[in-house]
Amino acid sequence: MNARAVAIVAIKEIVDNLRDRQTVFYALLFGPVLLPLLLGGSLAASFSQLSIDFEEVTTLPVAGAERAPNLVAFLAGRNVDATAAPEDIARAVADGDAEVVLEIDEGFGEDLRAARAATVRLHLNEGDKGSVRAARRVEALLGLWERTNDALRLQHRGLDPTVFDSLRIVHEDVSEDGATGQLLASLLPFLLIVSMVMGGFYLAIDTTAGERERGSLEPLLALPLERAELVLGKFAATVAFSALSAALSALSVWTLFRLFPSDLLGDRVRFDAPTVLAALALSSPLVPFVAALLVAVAAWTRSVKEAQTFLGVLMLLPMGPFFVLQFVNVGAPLGLMPWPMLSQYLLLERASLGEPVALAEVALSAAGTLLGAALLLALAVALYRRERILR
Amino acid sequence: MIVARDLAKAFARRGQAPVRAVESVGFDARDGEITGLLGANGAGKSTTLRMLATLLVPDAGSASVDGHDVATEVMAVRRSLGFMPHEAGIYPRLGARENVLYYARLSGLGAREAARRTDELVERLDMVDFATRRAAGFSQGQKTKVALARALVHRPRTLMLDEPTNGLDVMATRGLREILRGLAADGHCVLFSSHVMQEVQALCDRIAIIAGGRISMVDTLPGILERTGCANLEDAFVHAVGAHGAPAA
Repeated sequence: MNARAVAIVAIKEIVDNLRDRQTVFYALLFGPVLLPLLLGGSLAASFSQLSIDFEEVTTLPVAGAERAPNLVAFLAGRNVDATAAPEDIARAVADGDAEVVLEIDEGFGEDLRAARAATVRLHLNEGDKGSVRAARRVEALLGLWERTNDALRLQHRGLDPTVFDSLRIVHEDVSEDGATGQLLASLLPFLLIVSMVMGGFYLAIDTTAGERERGSLEPLLALPLERAELVLGKFAATVAFSALSAALSALSVWTLFRLFPSDLLGDRVRFDAPTVLAALALSSPLVPFVAALLVAVAAWTRSVKEAQTFLGVLMLLPMGPFFVLQFVNVGAPLGLMPWPMLSQYLLLERASLGEPVALAEVALSAAGTLLGAALLLALAVALYRRERILR
Repeated sequence: MIVARDLAKAFARRGQAPVRAVESVGFDARDGEITGLLGANGAGKSTTLRMLATLLVPDAGSASVDGHDVATEVMAVRRSLGFMPHEAGIYPRLGARENVLYYARLSGLGAREAARRTDELVERLDMVDFATRRAAGFSQGQKTKVALARALVHRPRTLMLDEPTNGLDVMATRGLREILRGLAADGHCVLFSSHVMQEVQALCDRIAIIAGGRISMVDTLPGILERTGCANLEDAFVHAVGAHGAPAA
């Protein structure tokens, strides 16, 4: 085995593939830039749609505001200023000219004075998330107003308002951060692993199946080189692209989540430099594993198209643990640690939640993953030693 | 110098009888001569060359390149052999010079020696005009020159080319002939395969006729004409092949 030959092959493949737009796009842009923006962007959007900022000053078209001066003043005191309602309320809401419109019933004042239930109508569009959100804010304020009013009515009649509260429900969420924290925490392993796979994907195909298809493999194999040197060189180039892609996507996660409002992330999820670096270190044994997997599968297939199909299906592998762990709480028994990909998901998730990770777990995870990489690499070399590699 | 004796190779096929690509091939290709392996498509030319290039292990028989056994001294054979397969197989995103340099380095030349040797071949094979251009848009003639330079870069004594004139225009073919004659004159052993009579007739000092995986005749052109009693190589080829069974389709 000659390290010099391995290096020459690796450098050639890296230079060659840096000139290939497809490879560069998937290695440097897809995993590191596009995917984080897509996931981070949609997460940020869904958070901002779910959360209501009660301190934000907003306006609310109110029809018949003059019938409920008290209520209007109450709303104004809580950052919701009443404005004139449109002529055709239903149409304005349907067209999105107004998110919600509050309509005060004609008999509102009379009903209140008679201690009856007074009617207000909230016009909203259930099909529009903005409208639903605005309606939730108004409803919350109306509920508050109602409870205050109820209490006053009861006290007026000499009753303690708490008599009507026979059940008090207390939420005790043990996850501390709720489901969003868990989801966010699994985002980091997902991004890193997908970046690793996509980073090496096209290079592995180009340097193995592509080399066969171009007819450049035959003269190459006739050179005074060991097949193992050739495979290791191609493997090293794949490792370089996978590692670069993963490192860049870690960098972009760190950058992106610094721009995130911290209250959206919750208290526990941390994407600060130490956490991201720890995640990168914990997932680093996966780089040779992924690279060996790509090279072995691409060496086994007969054409670029076949390699793309096979590896395309294989791409689902890194996504597997992500989706399974969303639904199943497996805990973290030591028995799961030697499994490549699964163990990195578990470890990285805990690292981004700030939970401690035991040395034994890290060692088992790294050992299992590197063993897998070695076996796959041996398989790739064996595939290259077959005479059939030329056909 | 190439010596082949009774080479045989069969390929297994799933669920079918194996294909006996080469049944019995034996010939000598001497230094300072151009030897042509002449045969129809499917006669066993490429399989024979692949066995000599150590890419396939013969099922039976033996062969040596410059005295090194192809079965036991694989690395020594590869070092003394320049092989240009059927397809040029050059890297489209690398320049002509980069393609040659890669092979020079892989063959064990140091960085400076590799660059010097590459420049020498760029000059000799008249590749200066396109030496730094990327190979993606090269003509067949340019690709063949790059592939030839690649095969020669480690100064092998023996050169093997599989149908090198395929797809070349007249001028490129003549250019290649000149180069091969020059190499033989320098004392190299040149073996090339072809199914084109004129090609072999114009270039070869010695001709090995192959059909159905067997060598049916090896001689100089005058020798073959005399032995078959024919006036031209085409008739002689048909005669020689007919005497040893029909050529493979």
